[in-house]
Amino acid sequence: MLSTDEKTTAPHRPAPVVTASTPPRRPGGLARRRRLTGLALAAIPLALYGAVVLIPLAQSVRYSFYSWDGVGAATWVGLRNYASFATDPVLRSTVGHVLVLVVFFSVLPIVLGLLSAALLARGRSRGMAVYRWIFFLPQVLTSVVVALVFRRIYALDGPLNSVLQAVGLGSLARAWLADFTWALPALGLVGTWATFGFCMVLFISGTTAINPELYEAARMDGAGPVREFFCVTLPGLRGQVAIAVTLTVTASLRTFDLVWVTTRGGPGTSTLTPAVALYRAAFQNPQVGLAAAIGVTMAVLCLLIAVVVTRTAERD
Amino acid sequence: MRLGILRSTAVASVLGIAVLASGCAPGGGGTTGQNPSPSTVSTDISGSGPVTLELTDFWAGVEGEWIEAVIDDFEKKHPDVTIERTTEEWGQLNSTLNLKLQSDDGPDIASANNGWQSLGTLARGGLVRNLDPYVEAYGWGETVPPTIARQNQFSTDFTTMGTGSWFGTPMARTALIGLYYNIDELKALGLQPPTTLAELESAAAAVKAAGKTVFAYGSLDGVTAPLLGVQAALADKTALGSYVYGDTSVKVSDIAVAEAAKVVGDWASKGYFPEGYNGIDYNTAIANFKAGQGVFRWEYTGSLGLDAEQQKHFGYTQLAQSSGSVVAVGAAPAAMVISSRSEHPDVAAAFLDAMMSPEAGQRAADLGLVPALAPDATLPATSGTLVEEANAAKTLDKDDGYVPYFDWSSPTMFDTLTQQLQLLYAGKSTPQTLAEAVEQDRSAFLAGQG
Repeated sequence: MLSTDEKTTAPHRPAPVVTASTPPRRPGGLARRRRLTGLALAAIPLALYGAVVLIPLAQSVRYSFYSWDGVGAATWVGLRNYASFATDPVLRSTVGHVLVLVVFFSVLPIVLGLLSAALLARGRSRGMAVYRWIFFLPQVLTSVVVALVFRRIYALDGPLNSVLQAVGLGSLARAWLADFTWALPALGLVGTWATFGFCMVLFISGTTAINPELYEAARMDGAGPVREFFCVTLPGLRGQVAIAVTLTVTASLRTFDLVWVTTRGGPGTSTLTPAVALYRAAFQNPQVGLAAAIGVTMAVLCLLIAVVVTRTAERD
Repeated sequence: MRLGILRSTAVASVLGIAVLASGCAPGGGGTTGQNPSPSTVSTDISGSGPVTLELTDFWAGVEGEWIEAVIDDFEKKHPDVTIERTTEEWGQLNSTLNLKLQSDDGPDIASANNGWQSLGTLARGGLVRNLDPYVEAYGWGETVPPTIARQNQFSTDFTTMGTGSWFGTPMARTALIGLYYNIDELKALGLQPPTTLAELESAAAAVKAAGKTVFAYGSLDGVTAPLLGVQAALADKTALGSYVYGDTSVKVSDIAVAEAAKVVGDWASKGYFPEGYNGIDYNTAIANFKAGQGVFRWEYTGSLGLDAEQQKHFGYTQLAQSSGSVVAVGAAPAAMVISSRSEHPDVAAAFLDAMMSPEAGQRAADLGLVPALAPDATLPATSGTLVEEANAAKTLDKDDGYVPYFDWSSPTMFDTLTQQLQLLYAGKSTPQTLAEAVEQDRSAFLAGQG
């Protein structure tokens, strides 16, 4: 491999006599051989990937066309499991809930992250690393711990209501996670809190990579902070924003642990997400086919989002 | 671009091959529809030689001590037999039991959840044995009250639950839904423990008038006990049983769902529940009750975890219907099954028989658990609450007054009840809508059963 590489990439070197006397190899043969060698080296990881990812994935796709209790014989139902997204109002509502969560898990943290990155990029102050560390902390905590902490914060006699009462807003106090209107936004804000630090650190590290001359040029041209943000910082962070969007949106589509630990989808079905519905179908009620259909739909959505985001970010 | 097409074609064909490789239809992991049931069975296991049986169950704490004691007794009686016990958390075992029973080194005996969610699915998949020959050999049909027995029965075409062959057995223990009360608080208010729903209503009004919390309750999770407890006090026992077991000639209007929902909904709007009850979770509600906040609590027996000292302060009552007879939601804490793959079904059946014996009931009583199938069990004199719980169970055994857990009527019924009650409390639903949602859930499930 190495010798052929050297040959093709470093033509200025004196070629060995042996090769000079033999006719030049056709590039196609060379490429094919290299590809085969590469494939051979990748065979073991590929086989492993196939066994633990591709085959289960294919199985899930297959299960999704059946009505199956996980034990006995399965009946072919075609696309009926997928049609549940349209016919079952509860399952349909989970899609709406997840869209609300996208706003809180993705849009808000990215906007706030950009804002703080823009503010911090303009001047360096002492102790920056400490602030970043503090804001990044939620990203390090286990999601179950975060969920338990917020269950306490949102409780009727929890800190949030105590603060409201202390400032004379006692009439607003409620059991936040048991309120049909407020439970979903309350859970969403937990997501905002958890992902904001991640977005901010990502964007700050991105701004350090932007050529300072661009800022100087913008300032010399008389750009204010707002103009500077839109003309220099934001375009420079395009790649980081793409990463943040992909990670946070797919994370919000997969929201399970936060809901499971706090509300289990309640009150009523007001915080039910597709992932929780999937878990119930697969492990609590014998509806493996439906669970597979939910899983496949979510996987396809995540894949689509990832493709669209990378394509958009790469376009010039 | 061409490379891209090539790559996606490759991925698609790999997936296609994987689909083909994994067979043409899922399922068939068990011997579908064939529940082995040997024609010759024996209750005499003395000639079995050394046998080791694997038991998997979901009991921890005191319940774990009980099963260990039953195993010890059994092994003493049958020195050739060793029972190796493994235990798992309830939800964990429920979601993996079907896989365990398909495995060659799976358990011989296991505790399953009743209803279609677990027992019915295992039986239909051929993973557990049809126990009818043992029912006959041991005479379980005579010792077990019919309303408990049918909780383990399925028709052999697996369209109906509650009738047909036995696929599981109960045990000498029971779990009921009933009304707990704070003895000291009732005494301080000069009230008697209620024996009917009407008496409970007047006592509740008196408690409220005295400015106290009537029911220790939270509806964040685990919300259904009051509804099901009230329903048992109102509904016709035969109709309720038939409804849960999937008899379509019985409608939701015949089983007092809307009536019970109205009673419970009225308690909520009259302020009988603690402030902010919609945000109180199950464990907090129990802790509040034990701390004296709330005079009454609807609960499953054994779930309060009362120690010897607390037993003196809390009473238990099973409300009678207006006819005077007592009906209660009650069942064995699990259905015991024998794996189709077990090589020693006779020995396993002997152990199931031991779990239903009066001795096992006595073991339960000694540990403070509610005994069943053991009318002569003597209870520790210090256990005030347990005596009342056990007496209720004894009456139910005698009157055959058990109705099954309502959530067995469909695998999703528990979720439906929880969601609907939360909607009802928030004023977003009516008792009538709740009843309709129940009916819809069951008919959707029964339609899928074919």
